[in-house]
Amino acid sequence: MKELIEYIAKSLVDDPSQVQVTEIEGSNSIIYELRVAPEDMGRVIGKGGRVANAMRTLLRVTAAKQGKRATLEIV
Amino acid sequence: MDEKVVIEVRAPTVEEAIECGLEELDADRDEVEVEVLQEGSRGVLGLGAKEACVRLTLVTEVSEENEAGEDEYSQERLERVAKATLEELLERMRVKAQVVVRSDVEMETSSEEDTPPVVLDVLGDDLGVLIGRRGETLAALQYITRLIVSREMQRWVNLVVDVERYKVRRERILRQLAERMAEQVALTHQPMALEPMPPHERRIVHIALRDHPIVTTQSVGRGDSRKVTIIPRR
Repeated sequence: MKELIEYIAKSLVDDPSQVQVTEIEGSNSIIYELRVAPEDMGRVIGKGGRVANAMRTLLRVTAAKQGKRATLEIV
Repeated sequence: MDEKVVIEVRAPTVEEAIECGLEELDADRDEVEVEVLQEGSRGVLGLGAKEACVRLTLVTEVSEENEAGEDEYSQERLERVAKATLEELLERMRVKAQVVVRSDVEMETSSEEDTPPVVLDVLGDDLGVLIGRRGETLAALQYITRLIVSREMQRWVNLVVDVERYKVRRERILRQLAERMAEQVALTHQPMALEPMPPHERRIVHIALRDHPIVTTQSVGRGDSRKVTIIPRR
């Protein structure tokens, strides 16, 4: 799941070297924290959060297939 | 050199024309330039009613790389990049499926754009999860794929992601539904509202009834509850 977020983020930003995804495992869900260069924030969030929400949808589906719950936070 | 996506849309009012156009381009209001070619008017007692017509130009960052004359090469490259991108995404979603570029464009609504869109069909077993409720997952997958491919190609790319021909089937059903409902409205002269639908599905209904002699369509409501109403023309 981490690779999914990493792949999407790196494909959309200007500076892929600054893309960082950390995984925080909770009791029944996993939180993914995505960090990108400040100039690239807009690219991973999108207008009205559209890009971020699309990433969340894909993440949720991928997690559900493995019986897990996952959330994405852009920090 | 700028490569621009320009469309012209007709609807009873300027606002509706812009709405339809944005749905067609899958764009937000601030991503397009709007030019009103003709103001609409209801006319007097149904006489002299004029449809509004607007021209929408999609404003995107475009590079100089894409010169005219490379169309064939660029279409081939586009198909390759699009297929590869979707495969990368599916692999990371742990979905076992095959991606094929569909050449026979069956979707009538998409053949109206100037450039034929690339249609990627995802084939495999048990792919309902990729469609999601009201096609929500499929919409997200298509959106992300389009963003990545557009970035790679350095121009706005019109592409469609389909799963096991879901959209083709859905389009057929929606067109039949639209025709049936239009018949009802034509008989009763009472407006009817369809179920809430996502933008591309509303677009199919709008287009299906665009040239209907007796009824016209309009989208009402916000966000998830936005739906098409079919109303008698005046």
